Amino acid sequence: MSLLDCKLLRDLRALKTQALAVALVMACGLAMMITTRSLMLSLTAARDGYYRENRFAQVFARLKRAPNAVREQLAAIPGVAAVETGLALQVTLDVPGLAEPATGLFNSLPERGAPVLNRPYLRAGRLPEAQSGGALAELAVGEAFAEAHGLRPGDTISAVLNGRKQKFLLTGIVLSPEFIFEAPPGAALPDNKTYGVFWAPYKELATAFQLYGAFNSVALTLAPDVAEGAVLAAVDRLLAPYGGRGTYRRDNHPSDRRLTDELRVLKALAFAFPLVFLSVAAFMVNSVMARQVALQREQIAMLKACGFANAQVGAHYLKFALVIVAGGVVLGAAGGLFLGEKFVDLYHIFFRFPALTFQPDLPALGIAAAASALAALAGVAGAVQRAVRLPPAEAMRPEAPASYQPAWFERLRIARWLGPSARMALRNIRRRPARSALTCLALALATGILILPNAMRDGIAHVLDFQWDVVQRQTVTVMLAEPQAARVLADFQHLPGVVLAEPFRSVPVELRAGPQVRRLALQGLPARGTLNRVIDGHPAQLTLPERGLIISTKLAEVLQVQPGDTLMIRPLEGEARDLLVPLVGLADDFAGVAAYMEMGAVNRLLLEGDRVNGAHLTVAAGEWDAFVRALKDTPQIAGCYVKNSLREGFRTTTAESIGLLQKMYSAFAAIVAFGIIYNSARISLSERARELATLRVLGFTRGEVGAVLVGELVLLTLAALPIGLLVGSQLARTIVATVSTETVRLPLVLTPANYAFAIAVVATASTLSALLAARKIAGLDLASALKALD
Amino acid sequence: MQTSGRNVTANARPSEPLDRRDPVFHARGLAKIYGEGEAAVRALAGVDLDFFAGELVVLLGASGSGKSTLLNLLGGLDSPTAGTLCYRGRDLATADEAGLTRFRRDAVGFVFQAYNLIPSLTARENVALIGEIARDPMPPEDALALVGLGARLDHFPAQLSGGEQQRVAIARAIAKRPEVLLCDEPTGALDIRTGLTVLDAIERINRELGTLAVIITHNAVIADMAGRVFTLSDGRIVNVRENRTRAPVASLAW
Repeated sequence: MSLLDCKLLRDLRALKTQALAVALVMACGLAMMITTRSLMLSLTAARDGYYRENRFAQVFARLKRAPNAVREQLAAIPGVAAVETGLALQVTLDVPGLAEPATGLFNSLPERGAPVLNRPYLRAGRLPEAQSGGALAELAVGEAFAEAHGLRPGDTISAVLNGRKQKFLLTGIVLSPEFIFEAPPGAALPDNKTYGVFWAPYKELATAFQLYGAFNSVALTLAPDVAEGAVLAAVDRLLAPYGGRGTYRRDNHPSDRRLTDELRVLKALAFAFPLVFLSVAAFMVNSVMARQVALQREQIAMLKACGFANAQVGAHYLKFALVIVAGGVVLGAAGGLFLGEKFVDLYHIFFRFPALTFQPDLPALGIAAAASALAALAGVAGAVQRAVRLPPAEAMRPEAPASYQPAWFERLRIARWLGPSARMALRNIRRRPARSALTCLALALATGILILPNAMRDGIAHVLDFQWDVVQRQTVTVMLAEPQAARVLADFQHLPGVVLAEPFRSVPVELRAGPQVRRLALQGLPARGTLNRVIDGHPAQLTLPERGLIISTKLAEVLQVQPGDTLMIRPLEGEARDLLVPLVGLADDFAGVAAYMEMGAVNRLLLEGDRVNGAHLTVAAGEWDAFVRALKDTPQIAGCYVKNSLREGFRTTTAESIGLLQKMYSAFAAIVAFGIIYNSARISLSERARELATLRVLGFTRGEVGAVLVGELVLLTLAALPIGLLVGSQLARTIVATVSTETVRLPLVLTPANYAFAIAVVATASTLSALLAARKIAGLDLASALKALD
Repeated sequence: MQTSGRNVTANARPSEPLDRRDPVFHARGLAKIYGEGEAAVRALAGVDLDFFAGELVVLLGASGSGKSTLLNLLGGLDSPTAGTLCYRGRDLATADEAGLTRFRRDAVGFVFQAYNLIPSLTARENVALIGEIARDPMPPEDALALVGLGARLDHFPAQLSGGEQQRVAIARAIAKRPEVLLCDEPTGALDIRTGLTVLDAIERINRELGTLAVIITHNAVIADMAGRVFTLSDGRIVNVRENRTRAPVASLAW
């Protein structure tokens, strides 16, 4: 080791706390970036591998029923590479240990061989086989539902198939690329307690529903380089006579879409936040190094006088900065990998892969490290350059004393009341406007990054309250297997404990506005219902007009329409007839996108009489158990959603992920605030050691001198807090808008408690670090203040 | 202790008679050792002295003689390794950190060779700063007038000459009406002419306010303005000289 490197090490040891503070801030940014980038890489890699291995289809279609012969016709359409057909049917489940009925989506497995597309992945046990005679029918269950209920191969489960209750033996636990995100249709979050996916042999499922020899679900892959639109149109034409509800591509598949949304969120977080941290760290490196170079003026002069070249001296100080960067990179990489692993574990709740292994994004780490190093070097370059440019003889002399001026605000009348300590603080800020501004900005950013996670938490709480207290006031929603005449409502009303029943008619439609097209379920509701209500942004209940459509604000954004515009509705089932309807209002909702019409209008659109798909019910609390028992024995019900169970699922899953996020951001913000204040206080202490020692000699106590030292920082922190709240609110707005997708959507909710928390964290971290730095005042050499400057 | 006379110049002023009953500082066997073992340095090796109210004392000595160490002990910046040191009967040798701070705050005015003004405060504010901690401070304007700085009150240190800065420092030191003014090489960084204005200010404070002034210097000429001159060498007082008349500052030259 050269002696200069030896000096470097010893200098670093003297600066270890400051170097650590800088490295930690840098590490926060790097950790955040590595975590998010690695998660993106892990998710993408897991998804792509899974899709490839298990042959996830590219195009999907649902229909009423088509004979199996149509499969050959589908395969014959030019551009279609592979076809899989089967049955997908919703059933009501009776799960041991679960009071309310759960809903199951039963998928068929081909009679011979493995499915061509959307192959299930067997996690445990074996796939179910068709049974003959009196043997128990077999079923495989999706992993999320199995885990939620502790189901294992060998357990049994009851389901109502086409009105007949039947018992099944679970043979295996299965995953599928179609159900990486296993949630009820339209739900933003999984509810694994009351919704599950199952696989049954084709023969038994088809027989139970009297669909043998037919299929109602299609999956396709396309040949490379074909005109997708033409193929899809051909498929639609072919399936239309069989009740085809229109094809959709993979990017509209609920599971794939949810995954894509998650990747989008990660992408939004992977850039902005790390950038904030790395900029703050670069500023800190700059201030530490500038001070170090200033302190070592004479040493630099001596080195030059002895014949060291400018390049050697410059390299020495650049190395100094690089050692700090290296520390930050090591800490950041370790932190990022640790957090990444944690988040991968968390993702297991939302996304089911055969294997979601954490894959560190090492190139990203490399790029981030290089960027940090460059930023640090850029920060140091100026100071080093100033130092090496000085002729040795001049550098040997101490720097000229700092010159001060009164700050502009001292001309104000109020300034007369300022004591000398306050004036010192103000003038120090004024003398170094850039450094003061940057310190203030860094503290503002520390405050700001605390806003987002709490805004997300509050947004979720708002969604919970809004969606489930204001919009959906029912206790339970029951769905019929097939639309039925409206008089079925009377049956629901007679179920034990039912206080109120409101019907709904739901039908898959295609909404078209110019070139924009979306497929979704059109909800037909009573004009002004009391249970499932349509609420606008005020929030006030909207009345559904006899003619006209109300859609989610987000859907209007996607379709690029506003109230007054006309949309075309194409029903995707029944006697399809296109209809132009005016958009009459926008509804505020947060889960998925929806379109609402008055129920009678929907039935007129469908050219049907009064028919319903199900009903929203309120059930008296005391009679819930009786209601649930009766419900499980009501054959025409294909499924039900219990509000409180959805709500609970929402709360636990999001609470966990937001909780982790919140802890992470709070810790990072505290580190930045702590680091910035500590570093600033130490630099200030170093620059003003003589001044502060003088004050001590004059009889100021340690506490009073401490107040002089941190007074400047207190002012900067006070200035930073409101800026931070503004910046944080804006950052939260941007990120919430970025991550606001059609499947997941959060309102921006900013509460005083959120602001108070941010202020408290930054104030506490600042105070603690200021106290820590102020302890160094005890170490001031008072006698040295008496000595002349050398 | 020895005493000796010296030539008296034409317009010299006779020394005021000292009230020797009640010393401001009283030290016996005062010793200070820095470091331990082989690295130990004996900076002060047993000093006896009594300083009285209203006198002007010069501590004379070469670099390393122990005069700065003695001043540090008298000013409550450091504690002796051995011996007794009392200020007005209060034991300074065993006082704790807070006690020493209180002593400095209430009783001592310091003047430094390098002035040590707060660069971010104007002349007036540097003096007013003391008002924040003193019990009965002088108005800053009065303190500055005493050192002949009636004007330039609102200039920052960087805008003042060395002599002016040092006089601001003296005004700052006396603004709290201290009983003791300790001056460490107050003219060390100044040329003769400005040095004399500074010494004149110190002498005037001593005369008009009755403040015990202790000046340490290596400049023997300055000793002529003192009532008593203590010469230090190797950590001991090797000579004490009493000037029957104190030379006027204007007559000093080096």
